[in-house]
Formats: sequence, C-alpha cells, structure tokens
Amino acid sequence: MTAATLPGYRKRKRVGRQVRIWAGVALCVLFLFPVFWMVLSSFKLPRDIFTTPPVLFFDPTLETYISYMQRADISRRMVNTVTVATGSGLLSIVAGAMAGYALARIRIKGAATLGVLILMSRGVPPIALAVPMFLVARKLGLTDKHITLILAYCTFLIPYVMWLMRGFFKGLPKELEEAALLDGCSRYGAFFKIIVPISLPGLLSTLIFSVILAWEELLFALVLTNRNASTIPVAIAGIAGDTVNGANWGALTAVGTLTVVPVVIFALLVQKWLIKGLAEGATKG
Amino acid sequence: MAVETAMKGARKARPRKTVPMIDWLTRWSFMMPAIVILLAVLAYPILYTLEISFSSLDLGSFTANEWVGWENYGDVLKDRGFWNAMKVTGIYLAWAMPIQMILGFGIAYLINAEWKGRGVVRALFLIPMVVAPVVAGGIWRMMLDPLWGLVNYLLGLLGLGNPDWLGNPTLAMATLVIIDTWRWTPFVVLIATAALMALPKDVFEAADIDGANWWTKLWSITVPLLVPIIAATFVVRWLGAVKMFDIALAATRGGPGDATNVINLYIYEQAFRSLRFAESAAMAVIVLVMTMMLTGLFLIGTRKLEDNY
Repeated sequence: MTAATLPGYRKRKRVGRQVRIWAGVALCVLFLFPVFWMVLSSFKLPRDIFTTPPVLFFDPTLETYISYMQRADISRRMVNTVTVATGSGLLSIVAGAMAGYALARIRIKGAATLGVLILMSRGVPPIALAVPMFLVARKLGLTDKHITLILAYCTFLIPYVMWLMRGFFKGLPKELEEAALLDGCSRYGAFFKIIVPISLPGLLSTLIFSVILAWEELLFALVLTNRNASTIPVAIAGIAGDTVNGANWGALTAVGTLTVVPVVIFALLVQKWLIKGLAEGATKG
Repeated sequence: MAVETAMKGARKARPRKTVPMIDWLTRWSFMMPAIVILLAVLAYPILYTLEISFSSLDLGSFTANEWVGWENYGDVLKDRGFWNAMKVTGIYLAWAMPIQMILGFGIAYLINAEWKGRGVVRALFLIPMVVAPVVAGGIWRMMLDPLWGLVNYLLGLLGLGNPDWLGNPTLAMATLVIIDTWRWTPFVVLIATAALMALPKDVFEAADIDGANWWTKLWSITVPLLVPIIAATFVVRWLGAVKMFDIALAATRGGPGDATNVINLYIYEQAFRSLRFAESAAMAVIVLVMTMMLTGLFLIGTRKLEDNY
C-alpha cells in the first residue's frame, strides 16, 4: 500500500475509522431504542408506565400479557394472522416464483409485456383495491373470511415475489436446465427438480419476507374483516387510536411485542439472504 | 443455444402441430397461476373502481347504479378535504424522501467502516424495518406523549421545553416524518451498504496515490458510481412512501384537525366512515393515475441518469 509512505495521512485515516465505528454504533443503538423501550414497557405494571421520570428499573411482571391474552380476541387474532400470513405467503411464493422463472428463463411471446404490467402494479395504491374489494366481497358474502384476505394480500405479494425471484433465477447458470432439458426432462421437471432445489435459500428468504409483509398489513385487514378473520394489526390500530379512554400503553406494548418479536427472530435468521435480496431487488428492476 | 437446436430437432421428428402447441401451453402455464390470481384480485378491482367512479352507488346492495359521467370527479375537485390531503401528502413526501435517502446513505457510509462488529451492526439495522408500521406508530405515540413520554422527559432534562408533538399541526407532520424515517431509513441503509461494499477498491487507491482528498473522492468517484443505485432506491422508496397509511392512522389519526390526513387515510375515511364510495373511487383513480405518471417520470429520469454516468 502506498499509504504507508504517508504516516500523517494514515493516522488521520485511522482516527476517521474510529469516529465512523462509534458513530455507527451510536446510531444503531438510537434506532433500536424504540423497540427496546416497547419490550421493556410491556413488562411494566401500569403504575410503572405512567411515571415521571420514566423508570428503567422496576419489578418485571407478565400481568399485562396475562390480562390481555385472556381476552379471547387476541388469541384468535393471533391464529388468524398466522393463518393469513402463511397462506398468502405460500400461495404467492408458488405463483410468483413460477412467473418469475418464466420471465427470467422461458421465452414466451407477450409474457415480457405482462411482466412489466405486473411490476407496474406496485404503483397501485392499495386503497384503490380496498374499496372495490370491499364492495365485491360484501356482495358475494366473502367479507370476514381468511381466504378473502389471503387473496387480497396476493395483490402485492405476487408482484413482489415475481420481481425478486426473476432477478434470482437470472443469476443462475443457464447450463443447469439446458442439460436437464437435453436429457429429456420436461420444463416442469427442470424447474422443480433442478432450479427449485438450488434456489431453496432464496425462495425461503423471499417466503419469509412475504409472510412478514402480510403479517403487518393493516388496510385490507381493516376493510375486509370485522370479527372472525380480523388480525393483530387491526387490534393494535384500535388500541393506539382509542381516543375515548386514552391509549392503553400496557396493552399496546404487550401486543406490539408479541407481533414484533417473532418477526425479528425470523428476519435475523435469514438476514444474509434478506439483505442480498433487498439489494438485488432494488437494483435489478 | 443447444436447447434450441435440440428443440428444432424434436419438432421435426414428431407430428408438426401438436408439439409446438403443447410446448406453448407448458411455457404459458408457468405464468398462469400468477395471471389468474392477479386478474381476479388486481385487474378486476381496478376496473371496478373505474366503473364506480363514474356511477352513483346504491348503498342498499353495494353495487354501481347508474352512469353519472364525470359528476363524482367534479365533486372531488370541489372537495376541500381532498386538496388538503393532496397537499399534506406532498409535504410529507417532500420531507421524508430526501431525509431518508441522505440519512440512509450517510449511515451506510458510517457503518461500513471495517471492524469486527460490522456484520452485527448491519443485521441489527434490519430490526426497525420489520416492525409493523402500525406498531411503530403506536410506540412512537407513547414515547412522544407530552405527559408521560420519554422523549419530552429527556428534552426537559436538556431544558428544551415540552413540545406538543401530536397536538401542534406543524409538529404533528414532523412526528409523522420522524416515525416514517425511523421505520424506513434502515431499508435505505441496507441497500446502500451493499452498494458501497460493491464499489471497486482500486479506483479509490488510485485516487489516494494522486493525493485526492475526501471531498473530491466523494463527489468525483463515490457519488457518480452510486448514481444508478441511488436512483433505484429512490424509486422503490417512493413506491412505498406514496402508500403511507398505517403510521398516520396509528400515530396521528390524520390530526390535529386535518394536518396529517394523508391521501390514503382521507380516501379510507371518506369510503368507510362517510360511505361516499363513488367519490372515494374517483379519488382513488386520480391518485392511481398521478402515482403511475410520477413513477413513469422517475423511471425515465433514472434511465437518463444511468446513461449520463
């Protein structure tokens, strides 16, 4: 390295690096703090939440969780959220990955245009879909059903999966399925026996991220469900927006923690793939 | 290439018509699940919104009644609330987008310093991004509470007064931008970190030899090399930001007054609280067209930028 000949320069660079490291760590702590504060507050008794100054040390208790979980709608909402999120995630990964593969590898006349159209749908405001979906579901008696919400989530999940997986499949060496097709493998055989197995990590992380997106969705859940199929985000919006009794911070933090913790664990498990997928998804539009 | 010659061979060997037909069907069948689902839940609702926007809606049967032409659109354009919502959305976008882009790339530069903990810091930055927006709105509302909130307590310690984050119209908009920035900057950070790591090292070494300072390096090497990714990130973030709904609903409910009533929240309330479905459909169509046009413009701009650099 030529920099070795310039000791002053080198020293400045080292100091700069230290500053960057510490500033980065400080920013990270700052960004994580709200989540930490939420988890912490969820173990407080109401009297420890409403204090000045806010307390950092207190007797932790599960009381908020217990009192809130006993209210049946939270556990039912949990089940609903899991059902709808995994259902729409699985449906979208199958439909989206197949379409993404078709766009990346199979030359079909007209498919490219369709692909562009589907990608363009990312610009459609969900409210423009929520209004007619509500009216149609109402007419067909499909409101408050899991399947309605699952299908509604496909509107943003399928284009998302297709977009990510198209980029992913494009990056795979072509020789793989060429060899398979030459060996007399059908297109489906090549896709399911060769492409899918080697793409498993990519597929899995895309699936997990799709499930997370569905898990957090609010607008469609608010519009298309009211009791039986209602999800956790709807409950949180209700708690946070309770202007009559004032927001119940205990319930908010407890339910918020229950929503966030599993998602964070999953996200950290697949973080390497997630980051790669996000970066590629953004660049290979 | 090998496949094509092989396929041609196959076509010659078998009866001519059936094989291409079957092959054509198999090819299309890969697209079919996506097409069928999206026709039903994406294309059809959009067309239906269009129909409702030109009709009067029968609230008894929830179906479009008769064709009323541009009447709903006329009503929307006369609606003060609609214009206010458009203005509020514009202000939110004008603040949130640049702040998140600059902050995102800035933080990415900082956390890219090489050290043992770099991977951990980067992974931890993922966390705010997977916090449900509605939860984000809720937690921040709690932290910004003027009476019991942590933020105002800390500001009080520093002697910075007791701002009413959610009660003052200007501050409420700032609050919305802050929460959104907290939730979305990590997304920009992650993309930017990947982009920074992919930068060619030798160019910087060459610049070091030439004695270039950091400012010159930043503006003549880093930024030009990053332009395509900055532009792409901007478009992706824009597509998310125009959908702003959850955070506004959970944190401010559009208030105080209508100060943070972003367009999606306004349409939602017009449709599902005031039951003005036809007018909301017209608003949704206007927003849809505007979003598409602006997205198209941004994409063209992105292309141009990429060509120039």
